[in-house]
Amino acid sequence: MYRGKNITELRDLIDNQGVSPEEIFKSVVEDCNKYQDEYNSFVTIIDKFKMKARKDTLITGIPYALKDNFSTANILTTSSSNILKDYIPVYDATVYKKLKNAGGVLVGKTVLDELAMGGTGTTGHTGVVKNPWDKTRMIGGSSAGSASSVALGLVPFAIGSDTGDSIRKPASLGGVVGFKPTYGRISRYGLFAFASSLDHVGCLTRNVKDAAIVTDIIKGQDEADMTSLKDDLKNYVDTLENDIKGRKLFYIKEVCDKELYKDSNDEVLMKVLDDFYKTLDKLREEGFIIEEVSIDKNLLEAIYPSYMSISCAEATSNNANLTGIQFGPRPEGVDSYQELMMKARTEGFSELIKRRFILGSFILQKENQEKLFLNACRVRRLIVDKINDLFKTYDGMILPASGGIAPKFSDDSEKLSDRYLILENHLAIGNFGGFPSITLPFTMVNDMPVGINLTGRVCEDDVVLNMANYIEKVTGLKDIYSKVGEE
Amino acid sequence: MIEKEKLKKYAKLLMFDMDEEEYSTLQEEFDIILKQMDLIANIPDIENVKPMTFPFINKDAKLREDVVKDYLTTGEVLANTKHQVDDQVKIPKVVE
Amino acid sequence: MKYKVVIGLEVHCELETKSKNFSPALNTFSNIPNENVATVDLGLPGILPVVNEEAVRRALLTAMALNCTNPDEVMFDRKNYFYPDLPKGYQITQVTKPMGRNGYLDVLVNGKLKRVYIHQLHLEEDTASLEHRNTYSLIDYNRSGIPLMEIVTEPCMESADEAVRFLEELRDVFIFLGVSEARSNKGQMRCDVNISLMEEGSDKLGTKVEMKNINAFNSVREAIEYEIKRQSELLDKGEKIVQETRRIAEDGKTYAMREKVDAVDYKYFVEPNIPPVPLSDEYLKSLKDSLPELKLERYNKYIEKYGLSEYDASVLSANKETSDYFEEVLSYGSDVELSVNFVTTSILSTVKKLEVDIKDLFITPKMLSGVIDLVHKGDMSLDHGKKLLYKAIEEETDPVEIVKRENLHQINDEGELLTLISGLMDENPEQVRQYVEDDNKAIINFFIGQTMKKSNRQANPNKSLEIIKQELEKRKNNA
Repeated sequence: MYRGKNITELRDLIDNQGVSPEEIFKSVVEDCNKYQDEYNSFVTIIDKFKMKARKDTLITGIPYALKDNFSTANILTTSSSNILKDYIPVYDATVYKKLKNAGGVLVGKTVLDELAMGGTGTTGHTGVVKNPWDKTRMIGGSSAGSASSVALGLVPFAIGSDTGDSIRKPASLGGVVGFKPTYGRISRYGLFAFASSLDHVGCLTRNVKDAAIVTDIIKGQDEADMTSLKDDLKNYVDTLENDIKGRKLFYIKEVCDKELYKDSNDEVLMKVLDDFYKTLDKLREEGFIIEEVSIDKNLLEAIYPSYMSISCAEATSNNANLTGIQFGPRPEGVDSYQELMMKARTEGFSELIKRRFILGSFILQKENQEKLFLNACRVRRLIVDKINDLFKTYDGMILPASGGIAPKFSDDSEKLSDRYLILENHLAIGNFGGFPSITLPFTMVNDMPVGINLTGRVCEDDVVLNMANYIEKVTGLKDIYSKVGEE
Repeated sequence: MIEKEKLKKYAKLLMFDMDEEEYSTLQEEFDIILKQMDLIANIPDIENVKPMTFPFINKDAKLREDVVKDYLTTGEVLANTKHQVDDQVKIPKVVE
Repeated sequence: MKYKVVIGLEVHCELETKSKNFSPALNTFSNIPNENVATVDLGLPGILPVVNEEAVRRALLTAMALNCTNPDEVMFDRKNYFYPDLPKGYQITQVTKPMGRNGYLDVLVNGKLKRVYIHQLHLEEDTASLEHRNTYSLIDYNRSGIPLMEIVTEPCMESADEAVRFLEELRDVFIFLGVSEARSNKGQMRCDVNISLMEEGSDKLGTKVEMKNINAFNSVREAIEYEIKRQSELLDKGEKIVQETRRIAEDGKTYAMREKVDAVDYKYFVEPNIPPVPLSDEYLKSLKDSLPELKLERYNKYIEKYGLSEYDASVLSANKETSDYFEEVLSYGSDVELSVNFVTTSILSTVKKLEVDIKDLFITPKMLSGVIDLVHKGDMSLDHGKKLLYKAIEEETDPVEIVKRENLHQINDEGELLTLISGLMDENPEQVRQYVEDDNKAIINFFIGQTMKKSNRQANPNKSLEIIKQELEKRKNNA
């Protein structure tokens, strides 16, 4: 009944049409349950209406979903892993606390790739998440359930986390808006760490304004997170309509030059790139100045292995608390603590996770650190320095968020061939440098959405949202969602 | 190619085990990543770059004032394990 | 064969702060399990460490007192390993930029000055504690996250004496700085000992044996002495020393712990959740300026500035409480010589007798300085002053109050004394006669005794003596 309604529309229903938040909640939960078997967005769907409304905010009474790697006291939080399948936290993540205090109504905890380490939405312990636009396709991850719940129109917004592209890639494949602000803009306290130096909290919505509304609520310095930034005291909604004439953007030739892919026979990709350049032209008409820049291909190709190196290294350490001792499933019939940990971890982690942990631990070994870990950290600096250098001239970087539409489950899992190495992995730049970065739908190819990505200067979250708002006007793909199953 | 036995040893140090074929997959994965890292090592002057840990310098970062604030109750500390004796977490005997 | 002993120490000391190193839970020694635990200390998913500035300050202060160089910013690293007492699976510690590097501490060993070089001092967190029962073990997370300072010396000590003296002096540094109570019986100060033997005259280092987690200093001595003997005997027999970790048992012997096949790789890397916080030159300077005087400095000051004997200086600088007490007495302008006298005798003997801490003694430095002033002005004899002090302790009353109450002021008025003394002489003609006729000088002491008795010990003894002598001479001349 309230499917596909954005925050502003629901706000109007509550404030002016006499619809109660509880009515909305019940209807939304009903819809969530209805699509659960088919799309598997949720690990947990909340059955009891709970709203804390000490003051009125733009999200008071508005239903939302939270990725299942945010700590919620007394609500199961699994990180979509067997090793946490029965874990009920005793404390609230700062983001959740802020949403609760603002009157947001939690309707469910969403499925992710196990421990947020993956980009397919297929590795959660409760099964694969399907793409609402075509259920034979994946939606990408790791914020898979957050993206699908928004793409299905079930909730107007969902919270996600983004370590390499985990909000922005599924947003692209699911046809929704995915925004991760500057590193530290939103507290990570209570977010189950994947790679602490790359982890960001962000949101998925169906339009840019909603992303601004949600970010306004959840941002701010947190004394429980030393990496959090001092509050910028800005209201991002207020500046959405600011004039963008003269704003300068760049795109990277080595990512999206059509010449690079002309032998690929990849028709979808060629259509994506065609539409990308058409969109740039329309943006130029709106007053943007957009130029092509060139960056050393070797450096760009180093993004993916460096990302793997850094993220796996941090992840193997961050997840060393998962031993089955103080929480998590405790194996029976063990005679030593070693056996206890061994059994809990062997049974608790899937194969992919174990492989990444071994890789990460290998990278950190004394004899390998210099070449494998520190070199990756050096590449990180080279890339961030390069982008910051360009940001002296440009206000933002604009690129296709992915090189195609959502892959089919039957496809070879990820585009690992060298041809796509840069195209499919450049979003990690936003994590390397902590840049604010947003993906929003810009075209439909074969009835499947594809996203465009805009990345801006550190701390200029307002500018990124302001520019994205204009991109949304140009694409016309605002508030889209999959109407599957609607009568 | 990295030896499987080594990978098994690493897994054991991380307190888990995998199936034979999973180790084979990992071997191949190692191969790809290590080749890619070789390429990185060839980036000119890479050794003179300072490794980056933090996305940027956070000038707002400060130390915490030494004050005691709300923390967990004993009940909350033990909430996620039923293995407890005398308000402590029980584990198999640790032999030194 | 003769061997040269090479000893290095790793000393752990818990810092006294209100809250823990990375969490806001109470930092205290508690017997109630799991009552002071925050999410961070339990290693729950999603936690983040937040560094306690007071722990940083105390570690920096100690590093300065140990003559170390300090870093330009605060940053931490992770040390990764699995053990049931380490809930996060890693310990937050410092490798890249420890709080101090390349320092030293001068120690008096059997009258000779020994400089012990400090390799580094770093700040880290304590682990949870394990209790081993018959068939299982228990984890208490109270200790998890308590700020812990580790001091690593260079392998530069050559005997158990040197090692133990260093530990004693180091503990005094902690106490004089006020960074920790450093009580080894509470496990607040613990140490690992590395020891190896090399052939005299050889420059080839021997195989290192490590002994972990020794609390008491005399256990350190025992362990070192036992190891020297054990290793010498092995070497004499031509056997090899195994590189291993040993533990000291109650019988004073050391035993090999379960051998680890591989050297552990802790896979250190920079803690990404703690952004570097710069340490400004001004801040470091203000810390340096706030460094209190340590034991050796106080000892030297007592000799050079106050002219104390080496003995008195060492007694008064032996521990911080005594030294602080003594200095506070002086701060009220009390006479130095009398202050030394009172503190080293009456005060210290009382402390010993009552088995109390000097700072808990009823007589405060302020009270003592009141008594010293009375004696110094000649209002009271030294002897009387001390008796007054004991009375005050017994009655738990300010000695100056007792003086007021009992009108205990010394009789200094010569006319008053003369009246008293000549009255006494009139009452004791036989004694006067002995002086006058037999020239018995001992009679003087008799009259002093009588004068003190009659005056309730209030007569000024020196003045009384003078008057007694004069009066007896007068009577002799008049005879």
